Amino acid sequence: MSPIDPRLQEALDLERDPGDLPVDLREAYARFNAATQMLKATPPVSVAARVMAEIRQIPPPVHSEGPARRLIHWLGRPRAVTVRLRPVWTLALAAGLAAVLVLQWPSGGPTPGVAQGIANFVGQFPGARSVEVVGSFNDWSRGTLHLNDDDGDGIWHAKAVLPAGQHEYMFVVDGERWVPDPLAGRYVDDGFGAGQQNSLLIVRPVSAQP
Amino acid sequence: MSWKLVLALALVARPAPLIAQNGNGGGTTRLNGRVPAAALPAIDSILAAAAAESLPTEPLVQKALEGGAKNIPADRLVNGVRRGLLQLRQARAIVSHAVPGQSPPEGHVAAVAAALARGLSGPIVERLITVAPDEPPGPALHAAADLVAHHFDPDSAADLLVEAHNKGLRGVRLLDVAVAADHELQRPGGRTPSEALAHVRAMLPNVRPGRP
Repeated sequence: MSPIDPRLQEALDLERDPGDLPVDLREAYARFNAATQMLKATPPVSVAARVMAEIRQIPPPVHSEGPARRLIHWLGRPRAVTVRLRPVWTLALAAGLAAVLVLQWPSGGPTPGVAQGIANFVGQFPGARSVEVVGSFNDWSRGTLHLNDDDGDGIWHAKAVLPAGQHEYMFVVDGERWVPDPLAGRYVDDGFGAGQQNSLLIVRPVSAQP
Repeated sequence: MSWKLVLALALVARPAPLIAQNGNGGGTTRLNGRVPAAALPAIDSILAAAAAESLPTEPLVQKALEGGAKNIPADRLVNGVRRGLLQLRQARAIVSHAVPGQSPPEGHVAAVAAALARGLSGPIVERLITVAPDEPPGPALHAAADLVAHHFDPDSAADLLVEAHNKGLRGVRLLDVAVAADHELQRPGGRTPSEALAHVRAMLPNVRPGRP
């Protein structure tokens, strides 16, 4: 570190008029003086305070959107999530999922037992208000197995799990009209002497269904 | 609470059985309110006769329930149930003749009665039972009845089913034989019933599984 020139030191100590200094020392004096003034100057607020002030000046978002749209935005906004896992629970969860996949999740609808099968009833009854199936599988009781026509095309459907074997049945349309199933393919005289025929359904056990 | 107590509570709280047992299998209990009151005494005596002869009563109860649901007049309803009893008697005689020395299982008798109701003749039924006396006869009888309903010769239909059985087809697979024969009959080109049966016989035992 080079020693400072005594004349410059005197000028900085206000013991000499800086105007009397030679040109090079006068420039050095000016730089020293500027640096001194800068160091003397205390920042009016800290950096942190200025940053916080800047943040406060950001205008809050104006919620001109509806709550549903705001919820969608909130849901779609990326967020940092911290997940802490215990290996034992993670392994148990994986084992559970594997078991579900291996055992095959049931695909919905009725599930027949070994000595049961699934019967599909379909009938075309345009304009009908109700269609139900009544037969030996439900003791010929009304109101237990209704067909549906959700799309209103006049084709009524129902699916039921029934005991394997032979069942006689009929459709009851609008609560009063007894009609054999035109798609049954098998019919048997009902034995009451009026020549009316029951439909005949043979339910295959689920183990024998193709 | 111990498991024994839980089991005891479950047994006590379980729903009452649908059929309250009595002399005729609880039939009349199930019929109360479901058939005309005027028909009940006659039906009761029919059910009692069936039970006394060790015939299955359930087909008769079903026939009575069916008649009640259809609002069949009492006299016709009773006649319908009585006709069912006669078919069960005939069926039991056929089974006893086909498989002598054995007490005919109720299931066999009911299946044979159903086949008779579908129009199969006694000799055809007896022949099919004789082929497989220890197997439930329902599928073979329905397959034969299906073929006869589609105008195949009854004896030829029985021949085909016996051959299918001899080639290993059992149970509801015999129904597929009847379906295959019907498909062959409806195939474009105009096969006669005997040609259709011959074609299926040549395929045996490889008939495609089909709709029951």
